[in-house]
Amino acid sequence: MQHILKISIADFWLIFRDASLKTFLFLPILIFVVVLWGLPALINSFPIVGEYTNYIILVSTIQLTQMFGFIYGMMLVDEKETGVAKVYGILPVKKISFILGRFIMPMIITIMLTWLLLVIQPFYKLEIFPCFLFSLLSGLLVPIYAIAISLFSKTRLEALVWVKTINLLVILPILAFFVPKGINYLFGILPTYWMYQGLEQMIMNQQYLMSWVIGFIFLLILLGLVSRRFSIKHYE
Amino acid sequence: MIEVRNLSFSYPNSTDKILKGISFSISKGEIFGFLGPSGAGKSTTQKILYKILHGFSGEILIDQKPIQSWDKTYLEKIGVGFEFPNHYLKLTGRENLKLFGSFYNSNKLKPIPELFKLVGIEKAIDQPVEAYSKGMKMRLNFIRAIMHDPEILFFDEPTAGLDPGNAHIIKKYIKKLKEEGKTIFITTHNMNTADELCDSVSFIDEGVLQITDSPKTLKNKHGKNAVNVLLKNGINQDFPIHNLGVNSEFLELIKTNEIDKIHTLEATLEEVFLKVTGKTLSQ
Repeated sequence: MQHILKISIADFWLIFRDASLKTFLFLPILIFVVVLWGLPALINSFPIVGEYTNYIILVSTIQLTQMFGFIYGMMLVDEKETGVAKVYGILPVKKISFILGRFIMPMIITIMLTWLLLVIQPFYKLEIFPCFLFSLLSGLLVPIYAIAISLFSKTRLEALVWVKTINLLVILPILAFFVPKGINYLFGILPTYWMYQGLEQMIMNQQYLMSWVIGFIFLLILLGLVSRRFSIKHYE
Repeated sequence: MIEVRNLSFSYPNSTDKILKGISFSISKGEIFGFLGPSGAGKSTTQKILYKILHGFSGEILIDQKPIQSWDKTYLEKIGVGFEFPNHYLKLTGRENLKLFGSFYNSNKLKPIPELFKLVGIEKAIDQPVEAYSKGMKMRLNFIRAIMHDPEILFFDEPTAGLDPGNAHIIKKYIKKLKEEGKTIFITTHNMNTADELCDSVSFIDEGVLQITDSPKTLKNKHGKNAVNVLLKNGINQDFPIHNLGVNSEFLELIKTNEIDKIHTLEATLEEVFLKVTGKTLSQ
């Protein structure tokens, strides 16, 4: 646990000393400003936007995962580029627990931010516990996102391309709400589909537990797979 | 201490064998050198020995125990000096060592300022590593490898990127580590480093160990058992070492001429390597 704390502190030092990463820390503020003040003003001026409020909330929630997904993805790629990853490979610590432990802090922060956004958004009165359940899914998405970027990229430049690609895959299942019934299940191969569906069901006061459970299991399996791959490839 | 028997390895999805049944052993307190051109299998062997690469065939024993059955305590026992500098550039030297040192048993950790002083970079201790020269980063690599007082040390090109003065400091410290009973595995292209430091060396080429012996034996075995006398007038002549003291021709020559140099004609390690593998180390 002491190791995890030390590496988390070092990670935050690294973020604050890198101008490009530091800037990304402001993303949640931007999202909160848009949801709390921008969107109500927009609906006021263009009432038709109000029909899409739930979808905008869904996308905003998922976008909160981008901050640490991007930051940690870039940090891991940087570790590969500079060879620091090799040093972690020879440290007396279990690889898998080290990887997952390292993501505890960004996961906790993402869970808190997601929960806060869902609770204080001014459009729907949502209960605290279901909001927390969906915040957990957002938290799980962060390490998957970051590890996937680092697995696919050798350089920071390549990583930027993968950030865009993965972000597209994360957002894509929102289309499921706009396609004919039946076809929407095709998006079910992407984990965020179940998050979007469950969140939407929660917002609309429908039964959401099934979507949440599928999303949770899906994300856990994915996390296990990418972590395993990462623990083999990252330190070579 | 380290016993490698019939070690073979291929990277996943490759049919080419990087290591083809190599065997060697390193005793406690020995400096063992692994010499070979790029791609010969030196780094792969080291990576297997510090458990970064798995899926090898053959047997590796560390203190008579198979390497696979060692848990993370094995990684407490080893220190690795990588070939290229690898540090967090945005962190200071001190922050880098503090971070990585935090993973080891704190009772064994050497004081960070002392380590910096040891390799002459104490003034840069609180500077970000991105401001260090390559030589300074390499010295930081070195002290990171030794900071937790490991029993086994792996150094990949330990003097690469260092000026002669700093290379001398590092070599002197490696010898001190040997005196303390550390087991040291060096891979290098640099024959002088190997010659100066190693108790025994192995030549590896295309995944096969060609020969293993002490540098002295190799040089004697593959060189000419003779001395060369170079006179001030430019004449030079070779004499067999055997019975040199009673060789009248030799004695007459050194009595009656002004001598410029006398030296033995043992081979250099580079020449031995060329003779054994048919290749130079830069090939």
